[in-house]
Amino acid sequence: MRKLLLLLFLIFNCFVLSAQNNQYLYDEAFTTLSEMLEEKRPLNFKKAVFTVENAYLDGLLDTTFLNKKINFLKNLSIQVRQNRNLEYQEKDKIKVEKYASLFAVMKDSLLMINQNNVKYIHLPFNYDFEDVFGHKDWSKMFVSNLLATNKGNCHSIPYLYKIVAEEIGVNANLALAPNHIYIKHRNVKNGWYNTELTSGIFPIDAWIMASGYVHLDAIRNGVYMKALTDKESIALCLVDLAQGYQKHEFYDLEFVIECANKALEYFPNYVNAMILKTEAKGKKIENILFSYNTDFRSVRKYPKTYAIFKEIEKELAIIHKLGYRQMPEEMYLDWLVSLKEEKQKYANKKINTFNIKTN
Amino acid sequence: MRTELKKLHLTLLCGLIWSLTFSQVKLPKTPTVSNLKVVTPNLGIPKNTLSKTNFPISQPNGMSVYKQDRKRVVQQQNELKQIYAELKADRINYSLASYSNIESTRHYRNAFDQLTEINAGNFSVKEATFIIENAFFEEKMDYSEFEKVVKQTGDFLREKMDELGYDQNRNLAKNFMLFQFFSDTLQIKSKNLKHLPFKYDFEDYLGIKDWSKMFVSKLLATGKGQCNSLPRLYLILAEEIGAEAFLSLSPNHSYIKFKDEEENWYNVELTNGMFTTESMILQSGFIKSEALQSGIYMQQMTEKQLLSQLYSDFAQGYARKFGYDPFVKKVIDKALKLYPNSITANMMNSSYLTIQFEYVAKQVGINPRNRKDLQNIRNFPNIVKLLNNVNAQYNKVDDLGFEFMSAEAYQNWLASLKETKQKQDSENMKQQFNIKLKKTFKN
Repeated sequence: MRKLLLLLFLIFNCFVLSAQNNQYLYDEAFTTLSEMLEEKRPLNFKKAVFTVENAYLDGLLDTTFLNKKINFLKNLSIQVRQNRNLEYQEKDKIKVEKYASLFAVMKDSLLMINQNNVKYIHLPFNYDFEDVFGHKDWSKMFVSNLLATNKGNCHSIPYLYKIVAEEIGVNANLALAPNHIYIKHRNVKNGWYNTELTSGIFPIDAWIMASGYVHLDAIRNGVYMKALTDKESIALCLVDLAQGYQKHEFYDLEFVIECANKALEYFPNYVNAMILKTEAKGKKIENILFSYNTDFRSVRKYPKTYAIFKEIEKELAIIHKLGYRQMPEEMYLDWLVSLKEEKQKYANKKINTFNIKTN
Repeated sequence: MRTELKKLHLTLLCGLIWSLTFSQVKLPKTPTVSNLKVVTPNLGIPKNTLSKTNFPISQPNGMSVYKQDRKRVVQQQNELKQIYAELKADRINYSLASYSNIESTRHYRNAFDQLTEINAGNFSVKEATFIIENAFFEEKMDYSEFEKVVKQTGDFLREKMDELGYDQNRNLAKNFMLFQFFSDTLQIKSKNLKHLPFKYDFEDYLGIKDWSKMFVSKLLATGKGQCNSLPRLYLILAEEIGAEAFLSLSPNHSYIKFKDEEENWYNVELTNGMFTTESMILQSGFIKSEALQSGIYMQQMTEKQLLSQLYSDFAQGYARKFGYDPFVKKVIDKALKLYPNSITANMMNSSYLTIQFEYVAKQVGINPRNRKDLQNIRNFPNIVKLLNNVNAQYNKVDDLGFEFMSAEAYQNWLASLKETKQKQDSENMKQQFNIKLKKTFKN
């Protein structure tokens, strides 16, 4: 009888704890990311990404499995590199070889033969056209989901690419476009160039500029199409953290605002962080008005809500001035597909650095 | 001669080896009671005496002697190379030969002095352009004549604006007038005056055969120009009638930007008399995001930046007429000081530094275009420094977002602007202007 009571007590405790656990994990993730930004701990993109995913998954992320997978990709890319010889002959040849092998691992089907002459095929990661923005299931945005299902989107694929790149000792810069993330590399021969992982094409910048949703000021201000520094990439993770956090049933708006503020501290023109913040403030107004038993129409009536409303207006003006224009989600997929359809027009014909020497 | 030298080396070597063995004898320790030893008569003196020292004591087999010799010879050769390098380094001429001995360069030096007197914050494009073109024509042009043409054109424009009833205080009206002057046939019937639109000159539009093809004076004389002279004349005339307009660059190209009272910006493409949208310009496909971030393209130039652009132009004229020499560098440095991100000045600087590096490398017998040969420059620290400069400059050009656009790609892009859809857009814009202008007229 006593045992049963104890068991009941424990089970009950578990439920109570899991509700608190969640906030605890998010706080911890926030601290980890902040400390990376504040240089109190080494900057590690892989760790940052997995910390964020772990918080959303209630601490159930299987890092052993993920590390094993990533290690496999790393070794595979090393194998590919050793078995190929590129035409590229500039002085940064080794770096470019690493880029090429990594690209092959991510986007090509690779035939492998083991010691017993058994053939395996490594399949590339595919673009998942379902629930691209993770509305139904936020974990669709995750690298862990990509590694488990081999399917991903423009969030998880470039993230994984950056993680593996860092594992094999080269850097990869993330870059933003409306609703989109891609990779920027630089080499001696071509300067900066783009790697688009959803379609596996190297597009010229005109592809994004011509999407019609990028105001030139947004490019000039580095809102889009800028090679992000490592700290700015961590700022991206902070916003991911807050976005995942908001998918839970209960959440604290102050925590969301805190995440956004921290991200903006290190990436001041990060529009997504600004939008996150204004949206959180909007919800705050709603909550206050709800407690007064009224709705948004009376926002100007109360000094408390009006003050926040004024702040939002100011922030929206800044967002607009930076050149941000909202891109409708339906348009996004059309645009993404346009790259394949108009490959002739938008593919960077100069990128032949990955051509393999035949002789 | 050579074998003799080798023999000499060999004896020298042996001597050295001997001295080595000699110096390796340990110094006697201060004797203490415990380590006192019986002194034998031979201690401290090498066993092999000088008379026997043609070869080392322990006669080794021939192979190892050969190996050791080879090693030493290689080492000595390297040392010799270094010594020669140092000797050569003293005689290297690090700066390009100056063309100042050519009589007509004098005009360029005069012009440079005149240009440096210009106030970067407020200057006359007309005057600066005249100075630059006049230097090329060896100061044989007449300024008053040039001024007269500009003034007459200005009067013509003002009169036409009166006739059309444009509000002469409005920037939009003045710029629209200018645009029409470049692209339409204009008449003032009362005075029987007529002006035909300027034409794009496809022939030698880069001024490769004849640099003066780039000049405003050529445009005024023939009525034909290209993407350098047309916007320049536009700026000169804008200055004359008090309109505000800016120069702006795109790959291999320059055009005019102006804004109306509501801060809307317009792009004027003078080579084909059109208003262009931003996407038309971006369609060339040679504008990188870095180029927009660094502001080298599609950005209206400030006065200072414009002056820098004129300096680059001036330097190009000199380089085309005489070649690259320290004078060019002086002018480029001036341009870079005014506008550090100027793509034109940075490109010229790249060319200059490359030519200088190759010139210096050739003096020490190194072919700079040969990767393997290039390795040998490590003996010349000063030349290495030059190479580093060249590389740093190329890096900067990359950072600015420059991308090479071939002449063919450029022509294709210019032609694409004339496609029906683009033309339609431009016509729509023109109509909007008319509506906007008429509105004010009625008010």
